[in-house]
Amino acid sequence: MQHTGPVASPPVATGTYLDGLSARAHPVTLRLADRLEIDGAGTRLAWDLAGLAAGDTVPPLVRIGPRGSPARVEFADPGFADALAGRCPDLHRSDAAGAGGTWRLVLWSVAAGVSVLVLAIYGVPVIAGRLAPLVPNAIETRLGGAVEGQVGRLLGDPPVCDEPAARAVLDRLVRRMTRGGDTQGEPLVSVRRHPLANALTLPGARVLVLSDLIDKAESPDEFAGILAHELGHVAAHDPMRALLAAGGSSFLLSLVLGDLTGSTILIATGQAAISAGYSREAENAADAYAVTLMRRAGGDAAALATILERIAGDGDRGAVATFLRSHPMTRERAQRIRSLAGPGSAGRQILTGADWALLKGICRNVPVKSAQ
Amino acid sequence: MTQPLAFDARSSSGRVGAITFDKRLIGLTGLAIRGFLLSLVTFGIYRFWYITDLRRYFWNRTVIDGSPGEYVGRGKELFLGFLVALAVLIPIYAAIFVATLSVPSLAPFGSILSFAILFVLGQFAGYRGRRYRASRTLWRGIRLGQDGSAITYALMATGWALLTVVTLGLAFPFMRASLERYRITHTLIGSSRMDSSARGRSLLLPWLSFYAVVLLPVLGALFAFLTATDFTLPADLFVPKPGGKPSETIFNPAYAGTPVATYGTILVGTLGLTASLGFLLIPFYRARETRVFMNAASLGPVRLSSTLKARQFYWPYIVYLLSIIGLVVVLGLVIGGGAFLLQAKGPASGASWVIGLGLVVGYLGGALVFAVLYVRVITARLWAAVATTTTVADAEGLAAILASSRRVGSGLNEGLADALDVGGALEVGF
Ligand SMILES: [Zn+2]
Repeated sequence: MQHTGPVASPPVATGTYLDGLSARAHPVTLRLADRLEIDGAGTRLAWDLAGLAAGDTVPPLVRIGPRGSPARVEFADPGFADALAGRCPDLHRSDAAGAGGTWRLVLWSVAAGVSVLVLAIYGVPVIAGRLAPLVPNAIETRLGGAVEGQVGRLLGDPPVCDEPAARAVLDRLVRRMTRGGDTQGEPLVSVRRHPLANALTLPGARVLVLSDLIDKAESPDEFAGILAHELGHVAAHDPMRALLAAGGSSFLLSLVLGDLTGSTILIATGQAAISAGYSREAENAADAYAVTLMRRAGGDAAALATILERIAGDGDRGAVATFLRSHPMTRERAQRIRSLAGPGSAGRQILTGADWALLKGICRNVPVKSAQ
Repeated sequence: MTQPLAFDARSSSGRVGAITFDKRLIGLTGLAIRGFLLSLVTFGIYRFWYITDLRRYFWNRTVIDGSPGEYVGRGKELFLGFLVALAVLIPIYAAIFVATLSVPSLAPFGSILSFAILFVLGQFAGYRGRRYRASRTLWRGIRLGQDGSAITYALMATGWALLTVVTLGLAFPFMRASLERYRITHTLIGSSRMDSSARGRSLLLPWLSFYAVVLLPVLGALFAFLTATDFTLPADLFVPKPGGKPSETIFNPAYAGTPVATYGTILVGTLGLTASLGFLLIPFYRARETRVFMNAASLGPVRLSSTLKARQFYWPYIVYLLSIIGLVVVLGLVIGGGAFLLQAKGPASGASWVIGLGLVVGYLGGALVFAVLYVRVITARLWAAVATTTTVADAEGLAAILASSRRVGSGLNEGLADALDVGGALEVGF
């Protein structure tokens, strides 16, 4: 740069002209007059200062060119760059979203994320409730088998209890309880040896009873009450609804989080199946169903309340009972069951003493684990 | 404007063009922090804008023969591409799901089937993504590009992958070289097509180092083990665990101290040791492969020449690993201290809230530090290593590159790769 002579001469720098048509670098001299004058062998150009835009480069390197044209000039002269910036206020204006654009983007994506979350939490269960009864039985049965396998693995593959005489008693009991009911065909009730007092309903009318529940039951009606409650879930398609809701919600969530490989979906669905936390309404409906069923089948309709309280008491003493987590508010539930049941059925027995004794031994076919 | 430029290989002066990268990394930490935090609050949607910023950052600082690279992609393009990819993928997932449910004989193969479909789709998406990145990269005002068919590429990759499995991995370097040739020979700078002479056999030696380090010692230990047991494994070597679940077994104590146990331990130890050694060889192989591929690439008379050393690939990983270990130790001490406080004060005190909060903050803070470290240490240093060890031989020939008038591909190309999450789908470079 030269600043000699009585009149300050315009800033000058050397640079490289690139015509945008070839990668040939043309050495040029840049002169900042009324326009940006570019001079070199075979090149003589003058660009309007107002139409210039600078590229995103690391100082001291500067790349400028007319907006919208592929031609550009590169130079590394901080003084010339400052002079140029002083003459072209729009030099660093970017075409697209600047800081304001980022905020708009953040706001919109937060809004989108929140609405997907709301849809996942409130909308999906409603949709699942509508869809669950429409799932063809064949598919639900197959799903139930898959879920049972997964639940079995999560519980540590507990052995199946089916001592033949006890199994016959259980089958008779189930048949008697579902006669004239609205469960989808004959439910598949299976018993597994497991130190949890719990029962699960899975899609495809599968009821999984864990053996500790039978051990804890002091009368056949208590056990039958729980069974009736689970059959209430079957009749209401609750497991299928929970599965659809869990699958749908986790699908939506993984959509938002951008993981579409399906891994999240599968994991979440499996976990939802085991912790099958139904809504309070679904639980109350199943309790009411159980009371009606027990009355019709000739059992003690209030026995369900008794065993619920007993298991809840166990839970208070520190035993981990998942049954509690998905069936909260035991006292309130017990009261509601008792008031629904009334005094009419008190003292009735759904099984004879002999049959009940047989049923209690259903795990006799599974060898007791070797002594520690 | 001027007379047409033509290659004139004879007059080539053999001038060497340098590739430099600004290693000061000014502003990169801010970029990474901002990208991480905004991605967090936007449920990850910001990642498309973040990766765009990163690509612009890295290309701007890479100067090839005096002129910096230029990335002109937009986050919006990537985001739209992602949305379109969702529309393609959701029916595919639904179809796989319904197929495995309604055709029972398919059920056992459900996961294999979806893996196979997603693998082919992933290769397809990866190639299309590269096309997008190329079309958004400029140098001296000349736009890069990629042609060729993503379907051909995906089928090639699938065939090679099967061959690699069949040949117990021996075909792997040939697969890499073949795919690299396809990618490079379909890469265009302006209207000039690149060429690659990459050959699998030049990668065979580095690749066989895995066999030497992992396979041979394991085979040796296995042979010793089998000799010690007279090639007959006792059937009762493992017995059911007393009081355990049916599937649980333990080593039969009756065999303790016998050669079976000794050589068995050696075998297991060798497996563990060589597996970790093999893991440590990955940067070595990657560096060799990068060098071979770089040296094989050319554009007319212009050649690339790389002097990349394996240690330049190791160093970033070592720094990253040490930083992570340090951070985990610090976090562990903090959490341990918190737990100790909780024990001392009793669980009923407000300390549990403080610890819960501390855990969340520690988790997010840790994730932030990892994200920043990853970009600064791994991405930037690997990029710098590859860039600064590469030179352009016969750089005069670069002047002959002419711009192309071909249509620029849309951003929809890369969305599928992101939606599928194929191995670091949103890559910074090529
Ligand atoms: Zn229930």
